[in-house]
Amino acid sequence: MASRALEAARLRPIRQGKRRFSFEVKMMLPALLILAAISIVPFFYLIYMTLNKISLVGGVGIAPKWIGFHNWAQMFTDSNVGAGWITMVIFFVATVGLEMLLGLGIALLVYEMVWGKNIVLSILLIPMFVAPVIVGLLGRFLVNPTYGVYAWVLRETHIFTGNILGGQVSAFIAVVLMDVWEWTPLIVLITLAGLVSVPGQVLEAAKVDGAGYWQRLRHVVVPSISGIVLVALLIRSMDALRYFDVIWQSTAGGPANATKIIPLRLYEVAFQFLNLGYAATIGIVMLALSIAIAMLFTGILRRRGLIG
Amino acid sequence: MSQTHTARRGLRLPGRRIVLYVALAVVVLWTVVPVAWMAISSLKNPADVLSRTPLLDFSPTMANYAGLFSGGNSLLTYVRSSVLAAGISTILATVLGSLAGYGLARSRWRGKRHLAFWIISTRMVPIAAVILPLYIGFTYLHLINSIWALVVAYLSFNLPFAIWIMNAFFADLPQGIEEAARVDGANRFQTFYRIAVPLTKPGIVTTAILCLVFAWNDYAFAVTFSGPGSATLPVAASQLITQTGVNWGQLTAIGTVVALPMVVIGLAVRKYLVRGLTLGAVTGE
Repeated sequence: MASRALEAARLRPIRQGKRRFSFEVKMMLPALLILAAISIVPFFYLIYMTLNKISLVGGVGIAPKWIGFHNWAQMFTDSNVGAGWITMVIFFVATVGLEMLLGLGIALLVYEMVWGKNIVLSILLIPMFVAPVIVGLLGRFLVNPTYGVYAWVLRETHIFTGNILGGQVSAFIAVVLMDVWEWTPLIVLITLAGLVSVPGQVLEAAKVDGAGYWQRLRHVVVPSISGIVLVALLIRSMDALRYFDVIWQSTAGGPANATKIIPLRLYEVAFQFLNLGYAATIGIVMLALSIAIAMLFTGILRRRGLIG
Repeated sequence: MSQTHTARRGLRLPGRRIVLYVALAVVVLWTVVPVAWMAISSLKNPADVLSRTPLLDFSPTMANYAGLFSGGNSLLTYVRSSVLAAGISTILATVLGSLAGYGLARSRWRGKRHLAFWIISTRMVPIAAVILPLYIGFTYLHLINSIWALVVAYLSFNLPFAIWIMNAFFADLPQGIEEAARVDGANRFQTFYRIAVPLTKPGIVTTAILCLVFAWNDYAFAVTFSGPGSATLPVAASQLITQTGVNWGQLTAIGTVVALPMVVIGLAVRKYLVRGLTLGAVTGE
């Protein structure tokens, strides 16, 4: 009897959901209308833009001229765009890879800490809240060949004596490390949340059975945190595609395009060469990629029962 | 066998602990040095900032900060724009996101997952791809160089974010309490407002703070959509580097002004950060 009442209560929302403009829909409506206005409408306009030559005249006059698939044809033969994607892929693998490795390592270290854990964790989180523009500017300041602290350390230790942002390889490493500095803490934080949830009894049992630290890590810890670590990986992957501010401020894509990843290329095409239609074409490809990652992300979350 | 085992562990433990703390010290240094150096440099006079060898022994001065806030191009107008644009966008995102997040959490229909995916996909769109259509739209609407362009642009990443986290927080509420309230005669909105909202206060605060941080830290939208009347602090920081040569004393001061408030309020929600930053997918400590 009681279970039947419960069942009825559980079913009620279902019946209400079928009504037009149910309570739930009304609650969502304002947000969804705004989201539609700033995402669906722009999306279709973006597609329209790719089929036009759109130039900005003095920042006011916008005159679309239908050119069909010219922008698309141009993009597939544009060696600058190709180079931008290659730089992007290297950048992506380097940053996300380093962040995952360091993040996991640091999380395991912090997890072992007995005292001072909270203070250390708070300190580690600071970089995430520093504006990327400031990270870029700060990076420039720290590696400045004449008065940068990091440049000084590298010079005194004879590791690197040149102008860090002046060399293609060193500049690339520098912008990678700026992103790693800012976002490794996120991986640490998420991994730690996973480590806390590793069942203590299983770990204890493995210890009693004589499993060493690395064995426990491999057979108990890693399997139980893999889901959470995957979430961390996907979150970072999506954000890495959005990366713009830090590089724009520190190297602006230079030297000799060594750090010109695709978002910078797009921005340059749009707002320096004022070729908005062509920029939109590059944007669509980025969009498709980010949606693919988003699908991967939600798919994995769903399979692990993390979302409905 | 077991004796040698414990003996070996007993010997190895202190060594391992030293390694652990040395490694952690390196990590903490790597994290702290850039921001600490920024804060320290902001207190130096120009000659000391440009010292070829790192200086820690100097007489601190507030001149860099005073320089930023005085004169015709005072930082105050940028502070005002930043506070308005980030603040209004945060309030809108949090309020509308809470409503929609609750609606989504309580929805039971089948297409829900598609709606949820669409919402989150708008958050993951590269800024560079959103910027173009918005730029043209704002140009038509004469919103370039107004705070409202920034408010709307910030909603494009904050609103889907807020909906998802609030959805996660509301979905975790035990429904029994809400059903009890409804049996007592509360309508759906009263149930939401009087029961669900107070119970998810930490979630709402976390959402608001993270939205504020994202909006406050934005540069790409701000530099594209704002003009003299609406330029935010990150834009001011970048202008300092291009226009007047590089005044590193002032730059480190402005960096500190931009970073400090966000670091402080970000750390305030540390407990809920994991959940917030993974869009509710991972339940924090």
